[in-house]
Amino acid sequence: MKVDVLQGTLDMLVLKALSWGAMHGYGITRWLEQTTDSALQVEEGSLYPALHRMAKRGWVKAEWGVSENNRRAKYYTLTTAGRQQLRREAQTWEVFTRVVSTVLSAQPTQA
Amino acid sequence: MNWIPDRYRELRSRLRPERIADDVDEELELHLALRAAELEATGLSPASAREEALRRFGSVQHYRAQTCAIDESIRRERRRMEILDAVRRETRQSLRALLRTPVFTVVAVLTLALGIGATTAIFTLLDSIVLRPLPYPEPDRLVQINHAVPGVQEGQEWGNSIGSYLYYGEASTSFAGWGAASATTLTISGDGDAERLGAATASESLFRVLGARMVRGRLFTPEEDSPGADRVVVLSHEIWQARYGGDPDIIGRTIHINAVPTPVVGVLEPGFSLPNHETHFWLPLQMDPARADINAHMMFTTYARLAPDIMPEAAQADLERLVPNLPGLYPNAYGGTWIERTGFTPRVHALRDVVLGATGDRAGVDRVLWMLLGAVSLVLLIACANVANLMLVRAEARRRELSVRAALGAERAHMAVHYLTESMLLTGTAALLGILLAFGGVQLLLASAPATLPRLADVALSANALLFAIGVSAVTGLFFGLVPIIRSAADFTELRESGRGLTVSRRRQLVRNGLVVGQVSLALVLLAAGGLMFQSFLNLRAVQSGVEGERVLTFNVTLPWARYQDEAAVFRFQQQFVERLEALPGVDVAGATSSLPLAGVGGCSHTVGEDSTTGGCVPTVFVLPGYFEALGIGVRGAAPSWSDLERRADGAVISRALAERLWPGQDPLGRRLISFQDGPPWYTVIGVADDVRAEGLDQPPTQAVYYPVRRPDAEGYWGPELQRGMGFVVRTTLDRPDLLTPDVRSMLREMDPEVPLSLTRTMEDVIMSSETMARTSFTMLLLGLAAFMALFLSGVGLYGVIAYLVGRRRAEIGVRMALGARVSEVARMVVLQSVRLTVVGIVLGIVGALALTRSLQSLLYDVVPADPLTLVLVSGVLLTVAVLASIVPAGRAARTPPSDALRAD
Repeated sequence: MKVDVLQGTLDMLVLKALSWGAMHGYGITRWLEQTTDSALQVEEGSLYPALHRMAKRGWVKAEWGVSENNRRAKYYTLTTAGRQQLRREAQTWEVFTRVVSTVLSAQPTQA
Repeated sequence: MNWIPDRYRELRSRLRPERIADDVDEELELHLALRAAELEATGLSPASAREEALRRFGSVQHYRAQTCAIDESIRRERRRMEILDAVRRETRQSLRALLRTPVFTVVAVLTLALGIGATTAIFTLLDSIVLRPLPYPEPDRLVQINHAVPGVQEGQEWGNSIGSYLYYGEASTSFAGWGAASATTLTISGDGDAERLGAATASESLFRVLGARMVRGRLFTPEEDSPGADRVVVLSHEIWQARYGGDPDIIGRTIHINAVPTPVVGVLEPGFSLPNHETHFWLPLQMDPARADINAHMMFTTYARLAPDIMPEAAQADLERLVPNLPGLYPNAYGGTWIERTGFTPRVHALRDVVLGATGDRAGVDRVLWMLLGAVSLVLLIACANVANLMLVRAEARRRELSVRAALGAERAHMAVHYLTESMLLTGTAALLGILLAFGGVQLLLASAPATLPRLADVALSANALLFAIGVSAVTGLFFGLVPIIRSAADFTELRESGRGLTVSRRRQLVRNGLVVGQVSLALVLLAAGGLMFQSFLNLRAVQSGVEGERVLTFNVTLPWARYQDEAAVFRFQQQFVERLEALPGVDVAGATSSLPLAGVGGCSHTVGEDSTTGGCVPTVFVLPGYFEALGIGVRGAAPSWSDLERRADGAVISRALAERLWPGQDPLGRRLISFQDGPPWYTVIGVADDVRAEGLDQPPTQAVYYPVRRPDAEGYWGPELQRGMGFVVRTTLDRPDLLTPDVRSMLREMDPEVPLSLTRTMEDVIMSSETMARTSFTMLLLGLAAFMALFLSGVGLYGVIAYLVGRRRAEIGVRMALGARVSEVARMVVLQSVRLTVVGIVLGIVGALALTRSLQSLLYDVVPADPLTLVLVSGVLLTVAVLASIVPAGRAARTPPSDALRAD
């Protein structure tokens, strides 16, 4: 099954990907594919505005480096602020999913 | 060492817009290429691998645009931060640099603050008095209607009679509104001490013309403004607060005006007043049309609002057309050849001009204030020249440092920012200090300003004045910031060309000398102007006013009508009062007059002499016995005595100037004259008084008739019946006649507690504060102050340049000393240098003074603007300053040991 990814969620996933180390855009895409077994339905291009926006917010830092095929590539690393953001979002997400699943698994009582 | 500018360049290029798009393209392309490569590895053809990569990516166009937009906003934000950072850094650096040279900083700030403060203070006066519109709606449409009469000074023109007021108002189409008022002073008693306070009787229509608004109650009704109606009063906001404590139930309360209980019907909005007359009580004028043909007393000040699109000139022409109809309408008042004989003609003046005293050819307050602003602007220029010179010296000292920085790649723009920040800091601080100075200066100006200066109550440091101060500082700040930038261009070449020099670069010295010469010439202009005003002041002081003012106390006593209705009662009171005054210890003689000399002009009436072909409007003065003696005015013949008054004798005194005009070369004693404005009786001349310049020290001797206060019984007289308000003059044996005031006050209170003593002044004060004298001394004081500042600043400037030169030439002077030059020769050389610069400045200054002091013409008295004596004197003063300023540096130069030739830089 494939799922659509919401904007905020994509940010969180990207931050998570980067928590493993510096990656360029395609690297992040590949990491997500592998980790989720390609279950996420997302246009690959949408990753870039998201990355640059997070750079503007100071969550990630971009630096030019050299890619595996020897081309200039922009590598992103998580900043301290980005790490904190990731932690916050993960917590919120956990609470959210717990609440939603509690609601969904609730047994009909009276009424 | 080059990494700073390099990094800067790289940063800039990285942030260029085209670079953003390129980077984004490269990033996205890499993604597509890597994806395609991966797909190819699974066996797809390159073409379809590419196609599939693009499909998975989505709209490249869309994501590219989005990403670029985000990067663009990052770039903008970073730029903002950088500028902010640079400003903060530069400010900190400049501040540190300024604090490292505290003497320079303090001197520069104080000098500029003085200039900015002085200009702001004068601008405040100009703004409050001249530039700000009058406090009425559409003030530029307001006019005053006067009548000019030959022999009557401009500014003291006649108003309107009942007849002309009513007829013009009805027949003219040039006006949208029309109202009359008569400014006066009233005795207010009852609640608290009796006081004489400014008031006006006004027509009900006047409030509409001037656009009055109420805060309480209402204005007069037309019924209340008609003859015979019970009087009601409208209060100013200020007096409501001050005398009645802002009583919320003031409406309907009864107050005592001239001892008559009068109900209050309204309170006006704050600040509403007649122009140039502090008006606290407004009573209905109650003009009686039935009296229009009784006389032609032109005593009502008439204010009008011009009809749309009508200019004052057109309105005046309109009124001129109406004048010939007056005799037909009012045969008694204007009959015969009255109009031709008086030569009277209507005048329509813009109200603003009347307020500023700028009607006709008179020099109004506006001209004086503009001139003073010009003067203090010159002071500011001189201050700027000083600071510019200081800046140059400073730039000199830092030349090496800056050249090194330039050589290391610091950019011109960067250095410009540095200089600008520094000078903005300097001028900004100076501006703050200057505004404080201006605040104090305005208070000082107000304290020394003549009471005749209009709109004094409106004077306050306003937003306009603050803007002015900020504007002036910004301009000077910019100027000082730019000077070293222009100069730094030279510094690049300087460093390249020479390391150390024996003498200062010729061109740089030229700039410095030019500044000093400019200062000296400006100072000369100001000194010349101040000197001319001082001469006028001395000339005015030397004028024989005809009055011996020393040891004379003057004051006003006005008897309220309600308590002294009977003419005999007034006379009895006045007689008793004079008797008791003369009985006071320290009093020689006392008398009284209806019109104190030099205290503003009362009315005049047309007077003709028996067997005389010339008449004219001459001041009508009523006197009590003792008046001439008290003021030391000699009388040939006799003055009316108490017994003459007792029996209503017809003897009057005339001034010598009038005698000479009415009966040239003949003996006036025993001749008869008549005021045909007031009608019979004929008076007999029993005395000729020495001349008095009662209308102003700069005016010719007054041609006056001194009438006895009691008129002879005569049929057809319509002049004033008696004088309730008299100015008393008391000659004392005291050096400080004002010490007598408490005695007089308590004596008056004993006689009648409801009668206040007002306008208590010594006669000398009256003379010194008379209009021309006050204006001259005020202008002189301010110009003198400006000239003094100019002189001081120029002296400092000269000293600075000479001292600097001596410092720079130490080596050369040392050589001279080593070669046997004498101490006096070296000292003379230095002094001469200062004198040479000053002489050039003086020559230029004289040219400037000749061109500029002409604008003083109308303010001068008995001295021409190009007065050679003044120019010579002030040149001398400047030369003295030049010598004084160079003495210390000359001494230092003379003490230079020859060994300095080797040591100096």
